[in-house]
Amino acid sequence: MARQPLVEMIGIEKHFGGIRAVDGVSLDLYPGEVVGVLGHNGAGKSCLMRILSGAMIPSGGEIRVNGTPVRFAEPNDARAHGIETIYQTLALADHLDAPSNLFLGRELKTRFGNLDDARMLREARAVLARLNPNFKNLRDPVSSLSGGQRQVIAIARAIYFDTKVLIMDEPTAALGPSETAMVADLIRKLQADGIGIFLVSHDMHDVFELCDRVVVMNKGSVVGAHPLAEVSKDDVLSLIVKGALPDGWRPRTLEAAQ
Amino acid sequence: MSEASNPWTAGGERRVLIAREQLHRASALLTLLLLIVGFAMASPAFFSVNNGLTVLLQTSVIGLLGIGLTLVIITGGIDLSVGSVLALSGVVSAMAVKAGLPVVPAMCCGVLAGAACGAFNGLVITRLRIPPFVATLGMMLIARGLALQLTGATPISQLGAGFGRLGNGALFRVVEMQPNGFPRVVFPGIPYPAILLLVVAIAATYLLRRRQIGRHIYATGSNEEAARLSGVNVDWTKMYAYTMSGALAGLAGNVLMSRLVTAQPSEGVMYELDAIAAAVIGGASLSGGVGTIAGTMIGAFIIGILRNGLNMSGVSAFIQQIVIGLVVIGAVWIDQVRNRR
Repeated sequence: MARQPLVEMIGIEKHFGGIRAVDGVSLDLYPGEVVGVLGHNGAGKSCLMRILSGAMIPSGGEIRVNGTPVRFAEPNDARAHGIETIYQTLALADHLDAPSNLFLGRELKTRFGNLDDARMLREARAVLARLNPNFKNLRDPVSSLSGGQRQVIAIARAIYFDTKVLIMDEPTAALGPSETAMVADLIRKLQADGIGIFLVSHDMHDVFELCDRVVVMNKGSVVGAHPLAEVSKDDVLSLIVKGALPDGWRPRTLEAAQ
Repeated sequence: MSEASNPWTAGGERRVLIAREQLHRASALLTLLLLIVGFAMASPAFFSVNNGLTVLLQTSVIGLLGIGLTLVIITGGIDLSVGSVLALSGVVSAMAVKAGLPVVPAMCCGVLAGAACGAFNGLVITRLRIPPFVATLGMMLIARGLALQLTGATPISQLGAGFGRLGNGALFRVVEMQPNGFPRVVFPGIPYPAILLLVVAIAATYLLRRRQIGRHIYATGSNEEAARLSGVNVDWTKMYAYTMSGALAGLAGNVLMSRLVTAQPSEGVMYELDAIAAAVIGGASLSGGVGTIAGTMIGAFIIGILRNGLNMSGVSAFIQQIVIGLVVIGAVWIDQVRNRR
């Protein structure tokens, strides 16, 4: 393939004492692609995503962004390369308001180095209104907001900046049906803009609706990486549970061709 | 039903939340006023310009410690070492004066010694991952031991008039000579320590409200993991808070020792508890993320006036301890109740 992948992870390892949480995993992501990352709890998918977002330092392996090897010592390093993450916990500071959370760690400042709260509020209002027009109470601490509103802040924080790669860890787990649809729309929109997305999810429905490819992890290793057209939901379930495809499996595309 | 599409739910909660915050601030102010009215009725000497200035002077030390502790408490930590660091800093300043340094550089040495103790606290907490309570408890003993060891447990006196100016001087002091040759104090002036406290309080408020480090201090205490994932340098933020707390303890130590014109290595025992109480009475939450300098100032004055008023009404030092103890428990209890809701 002539296209350059946005991100390549090559032979990534992460050990905790004797436990290999991530064991020689390689993964890539192309512009405008949505890759589903699936697996049991503890299969190592969260670890892998934390390594890519700079929240965890790998024991071995290499990460390349646009073909250039990079090293992430902290989340800001990954963000500097356009890799943004929406964490399952949302990672919001409850006592701060929406603009403060949106710009946390990347505060806008005036000429004198003071916080530019007025500008942050304006920018936050603009980006939040795009995601949820009903979002009005921006100056409230986020602890007083609803689950959906909190999710919207976490999403806004990931897409406001110059994002090239988006990691979404269970983005719809806490959402109602209408908000889930909103997130799905957003993923398609970002995809059209050429942003690459890793979607960590347990929801087979979401995965089959949104992803171009699935990567299944089991016990720290990748046990299957397939274009979505090749596999059925049962195949993916088998990969998750057994760590292998069903006996006698053949790609669906080939079967169809026959 | 999606909750996000219903602005009324969140709006209602917001009103409750703000009302609760205002209620706490108002109740602290009300307590302060009640104390003043109560003591004024108990003792006529309480409500005078002179005594007002005395309270201001006494409160400035607790206030300076309280500002440092507020920074630390907002990050979700605690600093038990400020009382001992205060003594060590005063001793270091006095020894620098005795070594022949002019007063101002000598006092800077003391403040730097305090900052160094604070930085040590910060390092132990962020590098060795020791809980703040234990780390600063250790520093409490280390700094006190150092102060006693350096002085041989004897006070350092005869430090000269210059050393006493910070603690005893006053701005706009008006003195007129009477015909009989004795001076008469028309206006005792605003004590330097009170001015210092005001300046530091404004600076700290500015820091917390308008600077990035202030925002990060709140974020760290509110949700440390979230702050870290958002790219906040949590360790550096904590280092900053503890170093500031140490430096302010050093400043308070210089004010106190200057007032006595003597460096007492055993001074400042249990001051940390007054300072913590001031912050908590002022609305700072020991679980982090909440607190204001203005609140802590109110808290410091409640403690200062309580001590002064009880003295003026002739309540014994033993009873005073009991009262302050109850106030501390009461304040922390209020904090707990606030968090439970």
